Amino acid sequence: MVDIARKNLLHDRVRFLITVVGVTFSVVLITAQVGIYLGFMRGASIIIDNTAADIWITSANSANFDFPLGFSEAKLNKVKEAPGVASADLLILGWVGMRLKNGGAESIELIGFNPDTGVGGPWHLVEGSIQALKAGPGIIVDESAFSRLGHLRVGDLVEIVETRVRVVGISRGVRGLTTAPYVFTSYRTAQQIIPWLRDQTVFIVARVAPGYDPEEVAARLRQIRDVDVHTRRQYSLKTRLYWTIETGLGFGFALTVLMGVIVGSMIVGQTIYTSTIEHLREYGTLKAIGATNREIYAIVLRQALIHAAIGYVLGLAITLVVSRPIGAAGLVMVVPPWLMIAVLVVTVAMCLGASLLSVRRAVRVDPMLVFRA
Amino acid sequence: MTTLRAQGLTKVYREGAAEVVAVRDVSLAAEAGQVVGVMGPSGSGKTTLLSMLGAILRPTRGAIAICGRDIAGLDERELPLVRRRYVGFVFQSFNLFAALTAAENVEVALGLKGVPPGAARAEARRLLERVGLAHRAHALPRDLSGGEKQRVAIARALAGRPPLILADEPTASLDWRNGEQVMALLRQAAREAGSTVVVVTHDARVTPYLDVRLELRDGRVVG
Repeated sequence: MVDIARKNLLHDRVRFLITVVGVTFSVVLITAQVGIYLGFMRGASIIIDNTAADIWITSANSANFDFPLGFSEAKLNKVKEAPGVASADLLILGWVGMRLKNGGAESIELIGFNPDTGVGGPWHLVEGSIQALKAGPGIIVDESAFSRLGHLRVGDLVEIVETRVRVVGISRGVRGLTTAPYVFTSYRTAQQIIPWLRDQTVFIVARVAPGYDPEEVAARLRQIRDVDVHTRRQYSLKTRLYWTIETGLGFGFALTVLMGVIVGSMIVGQTIYTSTIEHLREYGTLKAIGATNREIYAIVLRQALIHAAIGYVLGLAITLVVSRPIGAAGLVMVVPPWLMIAVLVVTVAMCLGASLLSVRRAVRVDPMLVFRA
Repeated sequence: MTTLRAQGLTKVYREGAAEVVAVRDVSLAAEAGQVVGVMGPSGSGKTTLLSMLGAILRPTRGAIAICGRDIAGLDERELPLVRRRYVGFVFQSFNLFAALTAAENVEVALGLKGVPPGAARAEARRLLERVGLAHRAHALPRDLSGGEKQRVAIARALAGRPPLILADEPTASLDWRNGEQVMALLRQAAREAGSTVVVVTHDARVTPYLDVRLELRDGRVVG
């Protein structure tokens, strides 16, 4: 049959264009907000997710990865003795100041790890080596930190808490959530630099022996006093939830996504409703010449779906295009396939939902209307 | 063959506590190929009667049969299917779809009757040719004159060769010449396609085109 829905939409091109722009704006807003949120969350747990450890042990009641407390190194032996633990390492994280080449200073999150195992260290080096950390006080800086710390090269000397350290490596892809960049060093150097951690660690990270379930091993390790024990997945989630809930970050993003849905729904709803009212006599005519209610609401819903499809494709394309310059500016936007599908579902639901009132009006039209002059 | 038979048709509307009888005990029968005129002034119940004959409005009492099928007792879901199969409508205000071309307006009716798109296009063209509008097939209603719009509406009513064509004041919005042309087309449809055409009107110039004439006053047939 003739595509009345499409013809009606294109008959009033200006209104159609305005509605498509509205849906597109809504899709961009929703996708970008969720994408940036996911980028933040990836940054929040990036060290946890990329460290070859199944279990993370922290001091009791530490809030998240970025704000931990120290505890006794002696607990390392208890961890190693536990059945199912294949290996365990100490890992330090501390907030310290770094003196920049230009005379300024920046806060950094210094991570001290065991260079022999590499556990907790950078996973992608573009220059230098991890082993060089054993030669003396040295650090590995990530490329993404250059915007804050200046462009550093292997061999440069910098000062961290009055300790001169040499840059021995450049890593890639270690961008955290906070404004303070992650900088890697050896565990021992970290303890020298951070005086309050001289005989303490911040994390113990353990690998589970083959055949053991991390959940079960973690449950056994919880018998150790004054520490919290998490599997990698649990700790990653705890850290993400901290940033999402405790800081209000998640609420802010959710509110913006909700605004996107509301704006999109109102624009589509208003357009389709106006169009339905204007075409009410035509719906009456259709009913008079034999269209069923099902055929009537198929026309109205098809109008909503056309808006949804065009708005979604344009919105997603714009989001993906702008994600590059946004990324270059330091804001990571993650748009995985599941997000694309979810936004499609939300867009379709939004457009269909917004047209329900119009469907109601269209199917309730009295075909007797057609006899009025 | 009797296409349309109505027996004791009555329609009562409720207005608060009062009852208004719009059509009272009307009976009629129309044969294939006949043009039946229902004449009467405004408010005489012509449109209500037409709505009942076209399966749009259910009578309060009485029976209607189109091609032998009783439609008075059908429920709301069945009535549209009766209309699309048996009835073609021509309205006073044309009621064309503004966003569709003349040909597409006819194709919609054919589509509802289940004609596939390719065949519907060809048939729409043929019907427009029949009403003398093949050259206006791609024109939108806003670019058509009143007479042309009504001829497109007749082509749409003829789509699928319905046995019954109901026309509500088809000449009321037209000048003399176009009004005559429209009536001639309706009579031609009755003669050539064997449809029964029922025209409700208060326009006396349709009289020469009628085979049967009913006069309605206050909902009753008076002549």
